[in-house]
Amino acid sequence: MSFEKQLNIIDYSLSSIWRRRVKSMGVMVVFAAVIFLLASFQMTTKALTNVARDTLVSAPEITVQKMRAGRQESIPVAYQTELVSIRGIKTITPRIWGYYFHETKGANLTILGLDPQSMPFGQDLGQAIDSGRLPNEHEAVLGQGAYAYLSSPGSAMFSLFRPDLTLKALTVSGTFKASTDLLTYDTLFMSLADAQDLFLMPEGMVTDLCVTVANPTEVPTISKKIAALLPDTRVVTRQQIQKTYQAVFGWRSGFASICLLTALASFIIFAWDKASGLTPEEKKEISILKIIGWQTSDVLALRFWEGLIVSTVSFLVGYTLAYVHVAFFEAGLFRPILIGWSVLHPALRLLPTIDLGETLLVLCLTVVPYLAATVIPAWRSAIIPADSALN
Amino acid sequence: MFLNSWSVALSLLSLVVLILSAIAARTAISVLRYWDPASDSNRQIRLENETWLSSTLVQYAMGFQVLSLILFVLAADNFSKVISGAMCATGSLTANQYGMFVLFVKMLGAFCCGFWIVLHFLDISSERYPLLKTKYVALMCLLPLLLVDIVCQTLYIANLKPDIITSCCAVVFGEGGGNDGNLLGSMPQGLLLEVFYGTALLLAILGHFLYRRLNRLLLWLNGLVWLAFIGVSFVAITTVFSSYVYAMPYHHCPFCILKPEYHYIGFAIYGTMLPAGFFGLAAALVGVIPARYGLAEVVRRFQKKAVLWSSILLTLFVIVVSYHYVLYRFVGGEGS
Repeated sequence: MSFEKQLNIIDYSLSSIWRRRVKSMGVMVVFAAVIFLLASFQMTTKALTNVARDTLVSAPEITVQKMRAGRQESIPVAYQTELVSIRGIKTITPRIWGYYFHETKGANLTILGLDPQSMPFGQDLGQAIDSGRLPNEHEAVLGQGAYAYLSSPGSAMFSLFRPDLTLKALTVSGTFKASTDLLTYDTLFMSLADAQDLFLMPEGMVTDLCVTVANPTEVPTISKKIAALLPDTRVVTRQQIQKTYQAVFGWRSGFASICLLTALASFIIFAWDKASGLTPEEKKEISILKIIGWQTSDVLALRFWEGLIVSTVSFLVGYTLAYVHVAFFEAGLFRPILIGWSVLHPALRLLPTIDLGETLLVLCLTVVPYLAATVIPAWRSAIIPADSALN
Repeated sequence: MFLNSWSVALSLLSLVVLILSAIAARTAISVLRYWDPASDSNRQIRLENETWLSSTLVQYAMGFQVLSLILFVLAADNFSKVISGAMCATGSLTANQYGMFVLFVKMLGAFCCGFWIVLHFLDISSERYPLLKTKYVALMCLLPLLLVDIVCQTLYIANLKPDIITSCCAVVFGEGGGNDGNLLGSMPQGLLLEVFYGTALLLAILGHFLYRRLNRLLLWLNGLVWLAFIGVSFVAITTVFSSYVYAMPYHHCPFCILKPEYHYIGFAIYGTMLPAGFFGLAAALVGVIPARYGLAEVVRRFQKKAVLWSSILLTLFVIVVSYHYVLYRFVGGEGS
């Protein structure tokens, strides 16, 4: 079939969609809504995965946590002496990592206590600090958000409650740069001793041990050795955390797409119904086309182009709306489902990305079933005999 | 690992392809049993109408099959992010025994659907539909292939085990079936390139002569060389050309070139190579249509067109695939 002929058929199908604009618009609106839902989920998942990936870049290769009764508990710092014998370990840094709920502000703050000197890039932390210096005794470096909560005008001091409700006073020694907000917004960084004191942890206990490894290909072997030396610990590698995040987001979005399949199925039935219910005018139109020389294949081509135009317009509208929803409204409709059920989570700016793969995925989930559902009704209309208009 | 959007989309797509082909096959059975061009009974008229439906359905199925092939490779790349040990599509496709097989079946399915459509267009160019029965026998043969496709794909997805942190004592030290090694061992690069460019040149010469004068024997030779060339190209892309695209000497992967980091160059590479091979093979295959069907002229015209298209696409393919390699040889470095 020549190119020019196809162009003419496309021209005719555009005018035919316009002539039946109320019917076509109905289909397009519902279709765009279904595409919007699926695409929003997909984009949110992708954006969250990217955030998780970027955040984990700076995580230690291996984290060692102590487990008791299937739950995590404090790990003695003395455990690191056992690990010294393993070749390939670059550094072992005891860390206290916890959350502090600030009751008056209703905010959850992240407390990070470690010794900058014992970290491989400890001194580089200074580069992330906007003003001031690394914390000494009774000092803390605050993220922008935490600073806004805790600072009071004219004073560099603030106090936090220990678990027994006694007060612990700290001095602000600096703030993190705003460009590191994603990681540091709600963070208080202090020395290990201060963090131990704040949480009233027993002497010599921390939340976990961070292990850095000189050669990244040795990570699995070293983790295996650590697990053998310290059988009561959980050894978690960075790659595993990354894969777990990916799998969890994948499950949730997969579950969501299965739920949305019901919406898709009802739309398909709707589209099938709209396409099958031929009005007498439509029948007349086809038979007139047949009389003036159209073949069955031409009518089929006409229906194919109509379907493709409707899907393309709906896809563009639905996908654009999904982008706006994720980028400007931070996926307000689905964020709670995908992130988790916690009430407080840090302010997180989602940045949707558009790549060919994701677009194709949404296309296959929506446009393909639509085209498949309309092909039989299209054929039914194409085989209307030329003489039916005369009856 | 069915609870994942990619798995859901793949299953849905294969199901749609299978349903469309099954409806088409129903028509095929009635046509094979009752088709009688001499009759003007109601049944014959109904059958004539139904042949339109079945051919449209197979054309849709063919389009979806190609989509499913692309989606499968992209999905494998996506799965690699959750499978232990896998870093890209190679890792997740080799994570269990079904991965590579499904990829092969999907490719074969897309080619077969394409041949069927060629047969269909040759058939409807004559008013007597001489190839009708052949066409429907071919359709019935296609159905088991699509069935194998969906079954193996389901088995592949079902046997994928994501690597996640369990709440128990220690790390899951899943060595994993997946590996990030290379699909093919190292090959002598110089020899491989000579074979690749030599075959391409041979095809260009054959194409030139065939376009000027069609010859049955040469057409078969052309088809056979094309078949070999597709194989050689896969090997050459995997072991030689891909590492020039990545600018990494030890990364030989035929799938990563499809990623956005490399400007989707893989789509241009496979998007020219596979259709070129398809036309090269189709030109030879339609030669088996006996002259008594009265399609000689149409077949001849198709062969000429197919030879022309395969030559054009071959040229484009060789240019695109050699781009990074040549740039590296002459300019040095990544060259982008």
